[in-house]
Amino acid sequence: MSETSIFVVKTTANQERSVANMIAQIARKDKYDIRALLVPDVLKGYVLVEAPAPEIVDQAIQGIPHARSVIKGASNINEVEHFLTPKPAVIGINEGAVVELISGPFKGEKARVKRVDVAKEEITVELFEAMVPIPITVRGDHVRVLSKEES
Amino acid sequence: MTDQACRECHRIIEGQVCPICGGASLSKDWGGYVVIIDPKESIIAQKLGIKLPGKYALKVR
Repeated sequence: MSETSIFVVKTTANQERSVANMIAQIARKDKYDIRALLVPDVLKGYVLVEAPAPEIVDQAIQGIPHARSVIKGASNINEVEHFLTPKPAVIGINEGAVVELISGPFKGEKARVKRVDVAKEEITVELFEAMVPIPITVRGDHVRVLSKEES
Repeated sequence: MTDQACRECHRIIEGQVCPICGGASLSKDWGGYVVIIDPKESIIAQKLGIKLPGKYALKVR
């Protein structure tokens, strides 16, 4: 395998996937030596491009809508490897933590975590405002942690 | 229509059956996006264990 680096392309927010598709299309058509493109969910407004030289990436993004510029400098695979294995959404949420629901019918309600299911990435909560404690199961990425400690 | 990802091989596909692994377990709930153009030379493809070019999801629920 020949030498390869990771270059970062700045894009318009929420256009990362379309920019990646366009770069891939142009790379195939014009035979640019671009090997892979990576769009991690946690990195808004950026596309990671694997290529042997920055000039190739610079040429490939010319004329692509929403692709702004190539950021100076290169990264190696070790620096981006953590993006390849996304963490489960419930990491950092413990039983007893106070959370706020950020989507769904209970949006804005505060609740206490009763159970955490790491495999399904779900948590079971009980709303503070409810008259009777009813357990509600929600996705781990649908809550924001307000306080981590058990009280 | 939103694209679906194969739960087995994480490939993003159109249609109801994955043409690569033949699996019918598909999901619309996926995150992270990878486009592999040259799997032989790509270190990202090597790290992910991908041997065929195409579009893949990093996480499929």
